[in-house]
Amino acid sequence: MKKTKAIRSSKLKYYGAILALLVASSIAARTQDAKIPPDVEKLSAKAKETVEVTMDGPMLHWASKFLSADDPEEAKCAKLVANLKGIYVRSFEFDKDGAYSTADVEALRSQFRSPTWSRVVGVRSDHDGDNVDIFFKLENEKMAGIVIIAAEARELTYVNIVGPLEVDQLADLGGEFGIPKLSRRSLSKAEKGDHK
Amino acid sequence: MTPMNEPNDRLDDALKNALRRQEAPDGFADGLMARAAQQHSTPEPIHRDSWLRFLTRPLVRWATLAAVAASMVLGVHVYQVRRERAEGEAAKERLMIALHIAGAKLQLARSKVNEIRTDQSTNHQVKE
Repeated sequence: MKKTKAIRSSKLKYYGAILALLVASSIAARTQDAKIPPDVEKLSAKAKETVEVTMDGPMLHWASKFLSADDPEEAKCAKLVANLKGIYVRSFEFDKDGAYSTADVEALRSQFRSPTWSRVVGVRSDHDGDNVDIFFKLENEKMAGIVIIAAEARELTYVNIVGPLEVDQLADLGGEFGIPKLSRRSLSKAEKGDHK
Repeated sequence: MTPMNEPNDRLDDALKNALRRQEAPDGFADGLMARAAQQHSTPEPIHRDSWLRFLTRPLVRWATLAAVAASMVLGVHVYQVRRERAEGEAAKERLMIALHIAGAKLQLARSKVNEIRTDQSTNHQVKE
């Protein structure tokens, strides 16, 4: 009797361990491309304006269903996101210079110093202090993701796009240099709409 | 009786004659009670003639219930569709903003690279 109980207990432990491993690995797989250091996340408390966009695959495809084919800009976006697996954006705008440290930026950059990532652009500007890094992820010699880290005097932006995409098409969507103010306003509207 | 009191006495007699107690005819009390009982037991005719009378038919009653239930289900469905649409539009806005930000930062990188190239070529020309 005792032996049966012991066998049952060990079986339960075994299945429990497998289940925990599966859950952990699925979580790790989901967050593999979207790690944002806690210190960077905390910057939103200091920021004057924050843009946070986290869109995983299903959410991304659901949102893209609402893009109109009649609107040229939305049609471009739809084409661009068709094969994407995720988009993660954090953009912080501050009131004054030096609101974030170089260590914060370095914590972001360090994640992409691995064989899977290649730094294709690294700009260090002495006269205005703007630093931009662009990393590409290549899989089977194909573009599988892009990370942009833009550290400006009063703005820190982190963009992580997972999946194959045309970089030129993405740049076309940028409009004028800098983030349009209208976009930030419409994001807050969009966020309000979400809570409804 | 004096001649002066004569008209008054006649009037008095006439009144007494008119107001004298008379016995009710036979069966009056029974008839009255029967009518009263009939009035209390029968439903008021105003309800019978009400426009809601058609609801008393079972088929109509069930059809009305089904219509009310269908309109409630439809209402909930319309509300859900509208809500989903609003959420979808908000998600689309966020997606477009994310892409705009990414595009803007790519252009920023491009412009910085171009600036550096221009500076380098200018310096090179100056040296030559």
